[in-house]
Amino acid sequence: MESPSLQVSKQNVVSKVKKPKERKIWMTFKNVYLGPIVAFIIFIALWQAIPVLLGLKHYILPKPTDVVEATIKDWDLLWPAVQITVIESVTGFLVSAVVGIFISILLASSKILERSIYPYAIILQTIPVVAVAPIVVIWFGAGFNAIVVISFLIGFFPIISNTLMGLNSVDKNMDELFTLYNASKWQRMWKLRIPAALPFIMAGLKISCTLSIVGAIVGEYVAGIGGGKGGLGYAITVAAIQVKTPYLFACGIAAAILGISFYLLVSLFSHLMLRSWHESAMKVEK
Amino acid sequence: MGVANEVVSFNHVGKTYTGGTVALSDFHLSVKEGEFLSFLGPSGCGKSTALRMVAGLGEATDGDVSVFNKKPKEMIQQTNDIAFVFQDANLLPWRNVLDNVLLPLELRGGNKKESKQTALRVLEMVGLKDHLKSYPRQLSGGMKMRVSIARALAAKPRMLLMDEPFGALDEITRQTLQMELLDIWQQENMTVLFVTHNVYEAVFLSSRIAVMSARPGRLSSLIDIDLPYPRELSVRTNPTFTEYVDLASDHLETSSDRKEIG
Ligand SMILES: Nc1ncnc2c1ncn2[C@@H]1O[C@H](COP(=O)(O)OP(=O)(O)O)[C@@H](O)[C@H]1O
Ligand SMILES: [Mg+2]
Repeated sequence: MESPSLQVSKQNVVSKVKKPKERKIWMTFKNVYLGPIVAFIIFIALWQAIPVLLGLKHYILPKPTDVVEATIKDWDLLWPAVQITVIESVTGFLVSAVVGIFISILLASSKILERSIYPYAIILQTIPVVAVAPIVVIWFGAGFNAIVVISFLIGFFPIISNTLMGLNSVDKNMDELFTLYNASKWQRMWKLRIPAALPFIMAGLKISCTLSIVGAIVGEYVAGIGGGKGGLGYAITVAAIQVKTPYLFACGIAAAILGISFYLLVSLFSHLMLRSWHESAMKVEK
Repeated sequence: MGVANEVVSFNHVGKTYTGGTVALSDFHLSVKEGEFLSFLGPSGCGKSTALRMVAGLGEATDGDVSVFNKKPKEMIQQTNDIAFVFQDANLLPWRNVLDNVLLPLELRGGNKKESKQTALRVLEMVGLKDHLKSYPRQLSGGMKMRVSIARALAAKPRMLLMDEPFGALDEITRQTLQMELLDIWQQENMTVLFVTHNVYEAVFLSSRIAVMSARPGRLSSLIDIDLPYPRELSVRTNPTFTEYVDLASDHLETSSDRKEIG
């Protein structure tokens, strides 16, 4: 998303004169969309050309056309796998959001609780979830449950640390205002700390939504399918064993599209929640 | 101490912050009901420290402060009598104008319908009846300060504490708000304690000025301003006004000279 901006600014200088009416639309198109589109076309063209020029076999580096072909041919495998991964990661994400926010509020409502547990939350966060995934499988059995738990574990900590940071980020003057009106602890929580934490919570949700997909795919690697149908992670494992490289690429691209869509969805939600007041949601104006 | 109509009493108050800064030393002052009293002094002389003590934000390390013959903390816990206006308006950005003004009433747990009527009344007083649904970021600095004042008035306080409320505003807005504040003060029969480092502002608004000096912060003199209310902007060209400004400036300078020598 960042890299094409150079290209855009160069083109800016070239064509300066244009009719004022068309100009605005053209300018937004040129400044915002043209660069990425051109970069994308060049990228695809290079990708198509390189395996041909170097004579690479399709199971080493498949061409975009090979990938499209594989996608169409194996659509009946790919589409159910995507659906399963969506269900796993959305479930994992929702559980981590609800549990994460709830636990944060609980911790933040008591200084003693927070002081004694927060350090462990930090330490736990640094444990690579892949390392504990097999334990999760032992506890929850192979398949859906274990995968959701792994996805939950990965998405959970960014939400806790962001929410806690937000709940403790209240402006000192606002805090004093609440003191002056003799606000109770829970009034302070609901009317001050939680609203003040909202931008932080949204940032946490954005991080954890993409992580929850990583979690689901990693979960499938480790926890398999446990008798049910497999998701993307399972499809990837199988395709790798069979050296179906074009299909592997299709799975990878599907996972990427999934991640991006999920991120955009959560960003939209965040924008709606914050648009009335927060600066980060204000860019759209003017 | 039993002075008639005394609403605030600073009784030889000292304040040393942890770290050793002596913000106030032997600060002794009695505020009478209905006064418009300004604390005037250079920055760092302890004006905010003194004002905040009246609202129970921070305690004296020497002597004591009483408000309506009670401890400030008790006052804010038990009554709506004290309201505080912060310099930066201090509005909640996620609440619109009306909801910001309703906040004190919500926290104190009043009847919803009455609260709304009260909020509308105070918003009308500050001329913001047409901006109920606006969010703070959509308002100018002057309008934000108006909302802040409306919020302070919402709980019908007997005393209004203001810490350099107009310090960040442009001159024209400041003058308008000064006039409006005087109107409100007279309508609502409140006592106002007002912190400023602006001599003109202090003289224009106040019935009495407490000039303070820095390091350590102490009261250096009290000046009664015998100019009649209501005061119009034209008061500023009145020779008596100019004399008061000179007098207050003199007191400010001598108190800071003292600081240089000491
Ligand atoms: N919370 C605090 N902790 C330590 N020192 C403080 C604190 N608040 C104010 N001070 C110090 O106390 C002195 C008086 O501060 P303040 O009352 O804010 O002055 P003013 O409002 O007149 O500018 C200053 O030197 C300031 O640095
Ligand atoms: Mg101050």
